[in-house]
Parts: sequence; structure tokens; C-alpha cells
Amino acid sequence: MTELSQIRNFSIIAHIDHGKSTLADRLLEQCNAIDQRIRAEQMLDSMELERERGITIKATAVTLRYTADNGQTYSLNLIDTPGHVDFNYEVSRSLAACEGAILVVDASQGVEAQTLANTYLAIDAGLEVLPVINKIDLPSARPEEVKSEIEDIIGIPAEESPEISAKNGINIHSVLEMIVKDVPAPTGDRSAPLQALIFDSQYDAYRGVIVYTRIKAGIVRPGQDIRMMATGAEYKVVEVGTMGPGGLNPADALGAGEVGYITASIKTVADTRVGDTVTTVENPASEPLPGYRQVQPMVFSGIYPADGAKYQDLRDALEKLQLNDASMTYELESSIALGFGFRCGFLGLLHMEIIQERLEREYNLDLITTAPNVVYRVTKTDGQTLMVYTPLDYPDPMEIQLAEEPYAKVNLIAPQEYVGNIMELAQQRRGEFKDMVYLDANRVELHYDMPLNEIIYDFFDALKSRTRGYGSLDYELIGYRPSRLVKLDILLNGEVVDALSFILFADNAYPRARKICEKLKDNIPRAQFEIPVQAAIGGKIIARETIKALRKDVLAKCYGGDITRKKKLLEKQKEGKKRMRTFGTVSVPSEAFMAVLKLDED
Amino acid sequence: MAFLSKRQNKTPLGLYVHVPFCRSKCEYCDFYSLACKDDKLMDGYLDAVCAHIKEAGALAPAYKVDTIYFGGGTPSFFGADGISTILATIRRNFDVDSNAEITVECNPDSVTDRLLHRIYAEGVNRISLGIQTDDDEILKKLGRPHTYAQAVSAFQRIRKAGFKNVSVDLMYGLPGQTLRNWQETMDNVLRLLPEHISCYGLKVEPGTPLYSYKEIANLPDDDLQADMYLSAVEMLRSRGYRHYEISNFARKGLYSRHNMKYWTGGEYLGFGPSASSDFAGKRFVLSRDLQSYISGIRDGGEVMEDVQEIPLRERAGEYLMLRLRTYQGIAADEYEQKFLLPFDPIRKILAKYRELGYVGVNDDGRWNLTAKGYLISNTILSELLIAQDDSQPLSRFY
Repeated sequence: MTELSQIRNFSIIAHIDHGKSTLADRLLEQCNAIDQRIRAEQMLDSMELERERGITIKATAVTLRYTADNGQTYSLNLIDTPGHVDFNYEVSRSLAACEGAILVVDASQGVEAQTLANTYLAIDAGLEVLPVINKIDLPSARPEEVKSEIEDIIGIPAEESPEISAKNGINIHSVLEMIVKDVPAPTGDRSAPLQALIFDSQYDAYRGVIVYTRIKAGIVRPGQDIRMMATGAEYKVVEVGTMGPGGLNPADALGAGEVGYITASIKTVADTRVGDTVTTVENPASEPLPGYRQVQPMVFSGIYPADGAKYQDLRDALEKLQLNDASMTYELESSIALGFGFRCGFLGLLHMEIIQERLEREYNLDLITTAPNVVYRVTKTDGQTLMVYTPLDYPDPMEIQLAEEPYAKVNLIAPQEYVGNIMELAQQRRGEFKDMVYLDANRVELHYDMPLNEIIYDFFDALKSRTRGYGSLDYELIGYRPSRLVKLDILLNGEVVDALSFILFADNAYPRARKICEKLKDNIPRAQFEIPVQAAIGGKIIARETIKALRKDVLAKCYGGDITRKKKLLEKQKEGKKRMRTFGTVSVPSEAFMAVLKLDED
Repeated sequence: MAFLSKRQNKTPLGLYVHVPFCRSKCEYCDFYSLACKDDKLMDGYLDAVCAHIKEAGALAPAYKVDTIYFGGGTPSFFGADGISTILATIRRNFDVDSNAEITVECNPDSVTDRLLHRIYAEGVNRISLGIQTDDDEILKKLGRPHTYAQAVSAFQRIRKAGFKNVSVDLMYGLPGQTLRNWQETMDNVLRLLPEHISCYGLKVEPGTPLYSYKEIANLPDDDLQADMYLSAVEMLRSRGYRHYEISNFARKGLYSRHNMKYWTGGEYLGFGPSASSDFAGKRFVLSRDLQSYISGIRDGGEVMEDVQEIPLRERAGEYLMLRLRTYQGIAADEYEQKFLLPFDPIRKILAKYRELGYVGVNDDGRWNLTAKGYLISNTILSELLIAQDDSQPLSRFY
């Protein structure tokens, strides 16, 4: 165990592209950690998807040994955090595991919106926030101005902040010295009962779940019986240790103040919820650490194999994914149109996209995803109340006494010049204005109550584009409110395709129905006959388009040299046909379902 | 009787000579050709093709050449001397049937009387003339270096030179073309009384100049193109032409024998850059670049690209895809015996389309596509190919 005074726990906050991952790499290098691992650029973002999108999805941590100028050797624990609003809760738990945060700011671009939200989270969590000015090697760098910007906008001193270039390895040493000097050493009573905060966990096929933890009090060692205080699950500790750059380094014990891992032959991450407290069975803590909440999926959508025969493959893949991601839920669902599939729950739309992409890439599945929806509450005329997770279960309008939809309290922060834009956007999304607070001379915080349904689709993106990236968003559920809801059905060639139905606010039904019919018309290939595309509410048609009959699909010329080419063309067409689902007499490609999801793009 | 059986044993073979020279490039063309008159390059080409023919002839003693086709490019632009030399080389190195069909593609601007008389004397018995349209404005837009008047004069001179089998190429779906304009073109051209007519729908290929401005080229949409096609089919049939392939029409017995090889699985050998071959079980394309073709032949290097040995199962797919282009269509017993695959899954789909008027059955019980069916043949074919993929072979010795 390392002495408390020799430990520093910190995370790095940065706007996308401002160099978070590059800085992390340099820190590893300076601590001679680099040769211990295979040098994939930016090791902290280890998921292929993360590297590609340049975002961090899962929190990770690494322990570095650093010998400072004062001759002492320190354990530096770097905890990397995800950066999207879907994962706000995970971010807050990662920050709760730290005493300090390094704020990386681009020397030419200055403070950006996305950084602010996380910076305030860090300040609220009581962390010491230490600015670092990056990319000073660029000709456009203006470190002095950026420093005063930090002081003005965020209100933390930046005069002494290191000016570095993570890319070129300039002044990295001063960042390490700053961490040692300015990040407070952790505190914690090692003789007290064990309280270990879970900030992430990961499933490993050989060891079971690896729990990433910050010990707040007490000591954990192999052989102990431990209990997860929220889930109540109990296990015997197999191994504890720290995360080295090259892999796990087992240790005899982890004590208060330290960051490390615990393995205990845990079969599923569902038992090791982010934010839960680990204690011992023998000498349990009297209460868990504050701030735990069970993360609930907020967005649900149907996921079906594009090829109906691949249903079992999809089930296996979801099972494996869930071992690693307890925030995703899935349940069997069957649709007349699509056959067997799953109703899956996600934290938000980004989370949904990530899961979908992982299923397609890592498990090589072709999927059809139905329009995402929130959970509605319906009270029927017979007094029975039900939660509606899928449009398939939405009762007949005649049987509905009261329909309610979930509302969220939304906090929006942006420079004041964008207030007009934000208000307009919020109003379009049925936002109910609460109040507006000036945070300082420049920045404004607006509060709204808004239907969750209006937030989940693309609100974050719309906000970003209307505030030139400076707007930030946070929301939390505040319960259900009565609403005028309708279920919109789509008919192809006169038959309802249940998988295309969805629930929406009545006033939005007409424009939305028109748009969907147009989109479907563009995305469904012509057949040998005319296909009417209709949208209906309770049997009443409210929009219609017609897909004209296919009359020409031929390669007029086909001689010697063209035979191979024509074969390839037909091969492609054949594959496309295989990816289509047939509803009655109409073939619908899986892209058509996607197109319906992306209504707001044009 | 010995000589008879020997003759029967010889496999028929088609020869294709690609002549990659043109006066100018047309806006829509994606065939390999060079717009130049470079004597040195043309000589180099001629030497290479002749050397190649010599080489190949030695490998084909078991074949009898019954069709020869000079395509391009513009063979008439290449000139009479070159064509004659190549033809003579073919005759010296291959066993050419005395009734062989020998076609030369010509463009109205380069058909000289001298050329016609010369190639007629060498045994060329079929001319394919590229007219495309009777609308001079459209010809200009397409970048064709001739007028319709030139085309008419060319046709008359071809006749005068003695050719009894003349084909003309027409195109529909052209920039600014209307249905009426197309019908007038057909009317005018039919007055020339050609034995054979090809009507091609314009396909805008990536990489062609037209492709870059296709959005503003005022191209007829799919529906209008379908109407153009159907009206051509009707008009040609009423004038006594047989609709023997998707885009080809002819007086009875005057089908292009060479092109039929492509659609019925016959063997053919190509010469010249970008020419393709289906020979002795292999399909391949020759280098798509004149210089590398010339140097490859000269130095004994590689000139074949995309060499593919086509497995039986794939031949079965080609059978459907190519045969259904023709009036002969496909037959159940022929299919099952050739490929050892069940015809039932195929029949099921064809029967469905037959009810809708896309498919017909002729007197011999062979299945073929109707004009309406030709128009959506890709849709029908991809369905047939899926069914074929899913079918189990009839024999476990497959």
C-alpha cells in the first residue's frame, strides 16, 4: 500500500480535439510506462469505436509511478472519463474518485463549451481544477489571452498554468510536478470499515468482472468476503491490485486513498453498479458512500436481425454485451412485421448508436432498429395503469383514460448571445420555461421542463449547432405529466407495418406523418406495382405518398466484356434484396427503417 | 465419312478484334479507345494484334472460327489496310469457316468507298453502322463527329458496295430526346431497310464526361425511357423484325451470330486492348492500356487480366442471366442436365411473373421474358439468382 501523502488521484478534462488523449500518452511516457505496453496510439481509448469517434465511452484508469524533483516517488492515478451527456452519471462517479482535475485548453481556440460542463461538474465535486495550456507550438497560439479567458469565464487562477505541447512533448514535466504539488493528497481512515467506490467495471472472460474502484476508507485484500451495498451481492475477493499501463499489477492489499481493481469471480457487471459501495461482510460500513443511483435506461427501441434466421446470434451477442454494460437492458419482443427481436433500453441515443455499432461490428450482425421511444404511462378506462415500452403495446385509444409522458428538468448553459436561439429551440421542443440565471457577465443558465421524448432524439446536436458548440446540456427526470399522445401507424400497400409505428405528441402528428411518408417513398425500391405509403391515427389516414411502379431496371448492353460487370451488378442487387424484409407484397430495405429515424436531418 | 466426323468434332469459336482508335471521344462512351491518328501507335497496335493472333492460333487447332467481329473504338477510322492485314492474319492462323459471319463496325464519318470495297473483297459480309439518332442537335451534344445526312449517305454507299447484311445502332434516353423525337428517328431509319437494328438505352457511366453533368443534361427519366423502349419494340415488330435479344432486332435468320455467342455461352477469343475472352473454361480480359498491350505481346509479358475459371455453379447463374436476354430463353431439362440443379425454384418465380405478363412460354416450352419483362430483367434475375443460390444440387456427385 502506498502512503496517502504519496498518492495523487486526478482526471483530465478537455474539449474534443484539445489533446486529452495525447497528453495522457505523454504522461505515461514520462513515467517510463510506455515501453511496458504495445504502443497503440492513445491507449486509454482502447475500444476501437472510441478511437474512431475520438470519444471516450468507458471510464478507464491507470496508475503511474513518478519520481518528482523533490526526490520522492508518487503513485499518480489517472482516471479517464466519458464525455457525452448520455454518460453524465458515469462522469460524476469518476470525478468522485479524484481529488483533482487537469483542464486542458487549446492555446489558440481557448475555452470551449463542452469543457465547461465537465469543469463545473468537477468544481461541484470539490475537485482542485488545474488548467494546462496545450498546443503552444502552433503559430496561432495565444497562451496569455487564453489564460485570462480561463480566469474570466471559469474563475480559477491560470497565471501559473504550464504551457505545453502534448504532441511535441514540451513541458510535460511541469504538468507532472503540478499534479504532485497542487492536487491534494487523498484522505481516508485505513482502520475504518471498508468503503470502496465503484467507478467502472469490465467483464473479462478469464477473471470475471474486474471492478475499478477508489478506496475511500478501510482496506481490501484477497480472501475477504465483500458485499456490494446497493445490490447486496456478496463475493470472496480473489485479487486486488493497480492498473498498470501494460496490464493489471496484483498487490497484497488496497488501502484508503488508492485507486485499483478488485476481482472476485463475479459473473456479471449487473452486480457491480457504477456508484455502488463495496464493503466487507465481516465488518461492514454503517452506510454507503453518497451519490449512488441506479441508472435507468431512458430510451427504448426494437433491435431485430435483418436476416430473421440470425435471431439466436443476436441474443448471444446481447448477452455478451450486457456482461460489460449493465446500463443496457433487453427483453424479447416480437413484431408481426419483423419477427423475433429485442426491445432494448439505453441511456440515450448515443448509447444506442454505440451498442448498435458494436453489435454490427464485433458480432457481425445486420440489424434493423426501430424508432426509439421513451416509456409512456397509460391509465386505462378500467383503472389499470401500464408502462408502455413499445408502440406495440400501446392500447387502443378507446381504452385510454389518461396518457402521460416523462418530463425532465433541463439545464442549459451558454454565452448570453445565444439565449434567443436556445429559447426558440426549447419552445419548438415543447419546453416550459422556468427561469434564467446569469452565471457571470457573459454566461447564462436557462431552466426548462421538457418532455424527455423531445430531448432524446437530437436535442443535444440541435443545441450545439445553434450555439456554435458553446451550449451545454444536463437533464434529470422529474416524473410523468398528462399529455395528448397518439400512436401513428404506417401502412404499406394498405397493411400496417407494426415495426414502423410510434407514439408521439398529437400536435406533431401531421408534419411528422408527412415527412415519414416522404422518407419511406424515397427509401423503398419500386416494385412491379404502385405502392401507397400511408400514415394513420386510429384508422384515419392523415398522410399519403405513392411509390410509382417499377418500369425500368435493365442493362441494355451486354457483350463479352460486360458479362463480368453485369454479374457483379446483379450480385449487388441480389445482396440488397436479401437484406430486405417483405411485408405482404412490399419489400423494405433495412435502410428505410434508419431513414425514418433520421427525420430531423433535413 | 472420316472427314465429316472430324469436322463435327471442331468447336465453333468467335473472334473479336478491339480497335481502340476514334476520331474523337463521345460524351457517353466508356469503351477503351484513344482519340488520335498516330501512325506509329497504329502500326504498333497492328503488329501486336497480328503477333497475338499468331500466338493464339497455335493454341486453337481444335476450333473452327465461325464469326469474326471488328469492334471498337472505330474500326472504319483505323482504315482498310489494317483491317485487311488483321483478317489475312486470322485466316492464316485459324481455321475459318467459309460461311463465317465477319462484321466490321463503322461510323458515318469514316466510311469511305475505298474502305468498303476493300473489306468486301476480303470477305467482310456484315457492317454495323453507328447512327444513334437522326437529330443533328443531339448528335452534336453527344460529341459524335457526323450528321444524320452523313449517316444516310454512308448507309447507301454500304449497300452500293454490295453488303447484304447491314445493322444500325440507335440510342434512346438521350439528352433532350422526347418520345416523339425517338419515334421519328425510328421511322426515318427504318426507311433505310436495315437487316438488323440495335436499340440501346443510354447508360450514364461513371468516368465519362456526360457523368459529370448528368444532372443538367436533360435526360429522360426511367418512365419515359420505358415508353421509348416499348414503342420501339412495337414498331419494329410491326415492320417484321424479330425481337431476339433485349436490345436487338433482326430480319429472320439475320441475328448477329457473333453476339449470340455472348448470350448463349459460346466460346470467343479477343484481341487488342480491353478485349475479353471466354475460352477453354476461362474468362479473361486483355490489358486495358494500348502501350502495355503492345509491350506485353512484344516482350512475352502478361497481357491477361482478371483471369477467372468459372465454376459450374456460376455458369448456372450466367445461363439464367444471359439466356434470358434472348428470345430462346431457358428450358427446364436443359438447365437440369447442364448444371444438375433443380428447375422448380426457378419455375416458381417465373410462373409468378408470367401471371403478371413479364414472362412467356414459347411453343417448345422454353421460358422467356416479354418486352415488359426485359425492362425489369435485373429485378427478375436477382430473384432467380437468390432462388438458385438456395437450391440443393440434384446429384450428390456435384
